[in-house]
Amino acid sequence: MKPSAARMSRAISRRRVLGLMGAGSVALVGSAACGSSVGGGDDEGDTPSGGGGGSGAVKVGLVIPQAGIYTPLGIDMQRGWELWLGQHDNMLGGYTVETVIADEGEGPDTGVPAIQGVLQNDQVDVVVGIVNSATALGAAESFAEAQKVLVIANAGAAAITGDSINPYVWRSSFVNAQVVVPMAEYLAAQDIGPVYVMSADYAAGQEVVAGFVGAFEAAGGTVAGQALTPFMTTQDFQPFLSGIQATDAAATFVFYSGGEAVSFVQQYAEFGLKDTIPLYGSGFLTEGSVLGGQGDAALGIRTTLHYSTELDNEANTAFVQSYQDAHDELPTCFAMQIWDAANVLDRALAESADLSGDAISEALGGLGEIDDSPRGPWSFNGQTPEQNFYLREVVDSDGVLINSVLEDLGTYAQP
Amino acid sequence: MVGWFGTNLVSILNGFAIGSLLFILASGLSIVFGMMDVLNLAHGALYLIGAYLGYQFAGDTSSWPGFLTALGTAALAGMLAGGVLSTMTEPLARRPHLDQALLTLGVALVVAELLAIGYGNDVLRVNAPPGLNRSVQVFGDTYPAYRLALIGLGALIALAVYVVVERTAVGALVRASVADREMVSALGVDNRRVKLAVLAVGSGLAALAGVLGGPIYGAGPGLDERVLILALVVVVIGGLGSIKGAFVGALLIGQVESLGRALVPDLASFMLFGALALVLIVRPRGLFGAPKAAV
Repeated sequence: MKPSAARMSRAISRRRVLGLMGAGSVALVGSAACGSSVGGGDDEGDTPSGGGGGSGAVKVGLVIPQAGIYTPLGIDMQRGWELWLGQHDNMLGGYTVETVIADEGEGPDTGVPAIQGVLQNDQVDVVVGIVNSATALGAAESFAEAQKVLVIANAGAAAITGDSINPYVWRSSFVNAQVVVPMAEYLAAQDIGPVYVMSADYAAGQEVVAGFVGAFEAAGGTVAGQALTPFMTTQDFQPFLSGIQATDAAATFVFYSGGEAVSFVQQYAEFGLKDTIPLYGSGFLTEGSVLGGQGDAALGIRTTLHYSTELDNEANTAFVQSYQDAHDELPTCFAMQIWDAANVLDRALAESADLSGDAISEALGGLGEIDDSPRGPWSFNGQTPEQNFYLREVVDSDGVLINSVLEDLGTYAQP
Repeated sequence: MVGWFGTNLVSILNGFAIGSLLFILASGLSIVFGMMDVLNLAHGALYLIGAYLGYQFAGDTSSWPGFLTALGTAALAGMLAGGVLSTMTEPLARRPHLDQALLTLGVALVVAELLAIGYGNDVLRVNAPPGLNRSVQVFGDTYPAYRLALIGLGALIALAVYVVVERTAVGALVRASVADREMVSALGVDNRRVKLAVLAVGSGLAALAGVLGGPIYGAGPGLDERVLILALVVVVIGGLGSIKGAFVGALLIGQVESLGRALVPDLASFMLFGALALVLIVRPRGLFGAPKAAV
């Protein structure tokens, strides 16, 4: 426990927020760290608790990456969070929201202390955010000890709601393999031929590859070959692309995100594979800001994800419109996931007897179907979404690349 | 054997392209390091400046004026930055290497952070100029035309650097300074001016490499560290202060990163440092490193 580090993260978050958002739109953030609310400050006071489902304040720790490679996701998530609050008078389930932002950084070495900081120093009632799975797994125990609820808005490791499941840790995003099982079954049903499977060599990549290969072979598909590329140190994919060409692959399935997604997609086109071996991927390959970097090389790539800006439903139309109005760009699944985290917390806090972790957890468990999400209807199953997955294709829409929706592949729970 | 070449032609070709880029990047680092004992850890940041200048002028569309402007500005900005670095490290000239390393590392961190604030955290694309932004057929394999051009350009720059260092009076001065700085100083040459010039040219080359590498690696956070590590490995393998060493080291690492990874993909993560360790075991001074004069 280092109070100085926590203080620093708060100072940084305040500066970042003011710089990013302007002071007006989210006055709540600035005041969060000043201890102006009853029971705030660093002493071991009682948490500000409302009178049972409806009045008073709730303190929420928003733990998102503000430095390092995941920063773009952190920005999307902060925008999604603030968008929801802005549309709902800064209230969650009748409580006025006080948001404390902390920097998750790149991994558990920074993320876990940031979470402990908001839990112990800021005495938040609920934590949302978390991009990195290792951070989520590393901090899960802290939530059991503090008896506070964590709603993960990205981290997709299976263990979070699988082997290491913990009654206080919920997830509004996805499970790594869940995203690609629909693609595996779709490709097998298409009788596509041998598929080469490739991913970055890290925990999420391994889960994706195992999930895809398992489901694809179970559905009768043949794997032409597999490769795991060194994570974050591969700038040039040519050696691996030659590996694909050396097999009889009829299609390639990959999982990359961020900078690697940009280089991979560009090089896949440059080395002429795009025209001969169609590229399929997990939705993150073409999600969000990477599309701009990939440019025309991304056209025609098909992916599966639980979201697309092009989904035709009322909630999504409103979500995309208001997000575009505020930021002049299309939202991403990361913004949507935390928007939904706010959404489920709103419903749960309205039902919950008080702000204790047990009461909120119980309320989350009893929510049933969430019918007004931009991703379409979904529900908690094993504390993580059971949701629809969509087959998407990158197309050019008046000069902007988008993931158009080709097909609804149906509902999938975590594998 | 012919079949083996046929299968791996693209990888070999690609090794040369990466090697070319690495040479342009590492030659400056090698001379500065070997000659002035300046451990310039800001070299990667200079590359990054070049990469973002590439995005600035050649990010939106593919055009020759844009790309050439990027190259010109990068060379100028790099040389200027090299001059500033030279001035900054001057007061530390008599201090241990670690002090210079820390100073340049600090500069590198600040520059990288400023670029991240200015350009955001996404990976940005740099377009190859028209004519080179397509793929061509090389013995039946598809290969990006830009990388072919890069091989040619790398060879040209290598030749130019070689001629200047080995065949001109200025080059003789630089080589003499690498061999024995005190003696050159005793002959009445101001060491600081040589250092300033060498650092400026070396830094200019690094920024140039940033633009040239743009169409392959783009511009984004973290790129500076990755290329710095590659450049340091090249310099250590080649031998400090040797242009010939940097050339051979760059080609070697280019092939290791390309052909090596293609042949043994399972060892891809270890191959770079495996090659480094191997060279250091066999020749601790690097392939072309001259024994240092006793101090």
